[in-house]
Amino acid sequence: MVWYVGRRVGMSALMLALTSVLIFVVLRVLPGDPVTTLVGQTEGIDASQVAQMRHGLGLDRPLFMQYGSWVAGLFSGHFGVSYFSHEPVQTMMGGRIGPTVELTLVALLIAIVIAVPTAIYSAMHPRGVVDRAATAFASLGMSVPSFLAALALIIVFAVKLRWLPTRGYVSIVSDPLQNLKLILMPAAALAFTACAPILRFLRGSLGEVSEAPYIRTAEGKGMLRPTAIRKHATPNALIPTLTIVGMTVGRLLGGVVIIEYIFSWPGLGTLIVDSVFKRDYAVLQTSILFAAAAFIFTTLVVDLLYGVLDPRLKAATRESAA
Amino acid sequence: MSATMAEVPSTRPRDDVGELPATQRLLTRLMHRPLGVVSLAILVLLVVSAVFAPLIAPHSPNAISVVDRFHGPSSAHWFGTDELGRDLLSRLLFGGRIALGISFGAAAISTILGVLWGFFAGQAGGLLDELLMRTVDVVMAIPVILFALVLVAAFGSDLPTLIVIIGLLLTPASARLARSAVLAEIRSDYYRAAVALGIPRVRILFGELLPNAAPVIIARTALAAADAMIIEASLSFIGLGVPPPSASWGTLVKDGYSQIFHALYYVVFPGAVILLAIWALNTLGDQLQELLDPRTSR
Repeated sequence: MVWYVGRRVGMSALMLALTSVLIFVVLRVLPGDPVTTLVGQTEGIDASQVAQMRHGLGLDRPLFMQYGSWVAGLFSGHFGVSYFSHEPVQTMMGGRIGPTVELTLVALLIAIVIAVPTAIYSAMHPRGVVDRAATAFASLGMSVPSFLAALALIIVFAVKLRWLPTRGYVSIVSDPLQNLKLILMPAAALAFTACAPILRFLRGSLGEVSEAPYIRTAEGKGMLRPTAIRKHATPNALIPTLTIVGMTVGRLLGGVVIIEYIFSWPGLGTLIVDSVFKRDYAVLQTSILFAAAAFIFTTLVVDLLYGVLDPRLKAATRESAA
Repeated sequence: MSATMAEVPSTRPRDDVGELPATQRLLTRLMHRPLGVVSLAILVLLVVSAVFAPLIAPHSPNAISVVDRFHGPSSAHWFGTDELGRDLLSRLLFGGRIALGISFGAAAISTILGVLWGFFAGQAGGLLDELLMRTVDVVMAIPVILFALVLVAAFGSDLPTLIVIIGLLLTPASARLARSAVLAEIRSDYYRAAVALGIPRVRILFGELLPNAAPVIIARTALAAADAMIIEASLSFIGLGVPPPSASWGTLVKDGYSQIFHALYYVVFPGAVILLAIWALNTLGDQLQELLDPRTSR
């Protein structure tokens, strides 16, 4: 078990390192750097001034040295300095992680609270009204880009009913009620797309598990089928669903960028979009790496949990160790 | 290697239905499923209307007419007009050329590169396989839309660039699938027999294995096209799509969103079209996959 955990953590660290190299190389090797963007706004700048600006930003140093100082900075808490506002990147990111984490977690919570009971009920009453509706809903949810879900919500709740504001952010500490009002639409839009894969997968695996001999045995002993599914099949089907929940976090991390942009939610997503428009590599590389790290970390946690929760896996590792 | 020369002639053990090639057989069976027919029909309709946009569009997509600003849907402008008095139906028809072009182009790139990548990794095995598949893992560790943002920031977003960027981003997932297809077939008798006969690997892979794996790959291509459309629409919605005056469906949604409080139809029509197209592609892909799953195909 220790060996398994160690190997898995090591793999994640390696993935993260490779990801950082990839992000860095893609941003540096490709054409168009922040100096060109900066200069584009100013008239009459000559080549020597451009070279001087590159030097000032450290862009003229060899690539591996730039990478080295970026990574060294990451470890010592200095994430670099924005090419535009000249603010330290960690200050720019600092206040934005909270709102993004809050939004992602609320969305995930909504998705799970809707998907899990619906899937279990559908499996207990296969081909019933709920099952059919859930299948249709899941196939729609897979197809709706999060920004369209957001637009649909805005049309209903902001344009037609005028119940909810379309943009803004208030910290949960200063005004919990207003925070709830503001987070409702973005979180629901994200949850809508996150809900579908969880619902679909859990329903599918419940369907498979309910064919298992032990369910037939339970039925043979006089247990009603819905009860057998709820009591015996569900715990077994929930474990593999964990993997899908982990993957959903990845989807959410992508979706959150667009959703934050729509609702002017001051999180990492809007920061990323802003720095894409400005080609502010210093901000972009670190915030993207952050998002990737969050995803890699979630996958790691899910994998490790899986090892703890699934007795079969534990038995297998014990056997192979013996 | 247990296959003897006498067993060689039956190279396609999975052929159980008629003499039709795998792909054609799949299409016939797809036609017996309501969702398959509906999704295919929607796609054909969208593609035809995009291809013949110059012939069917009632107006020029970029013709500005200030007096006709923000007309709601009417017989003259079925889908209404925008802030410059341009006909929205015409803009949607022409936008389809961009949205569908990028979607199909990117899906094609991801399939072709993915098949090459996955086939190569799967049949090479060993360290090379490990290396190629770990690369897939790393690329897939970053949510696609984030990667797309970085690449668009660096490369810009004109039509060919977007096709290549999105196509490359969807390649790893295709590669993973293509590799598993190779691994599934590589243990089959016909593959071993062909190797034993001394047929060059490349010919076995692309002459024998590819046709057998084609249905799986086609299903993946449909799903990749749906993903590509979501990515492109999202980028366009943020304002990082194909530059104006041409407007993709996502760009139209963006423009419509900015007028959402006084011209609701403006955002609704392009949004609905995007939804329809993505739903059709996803459903088609799912239907194909279901047909291929031996547990549900009969």
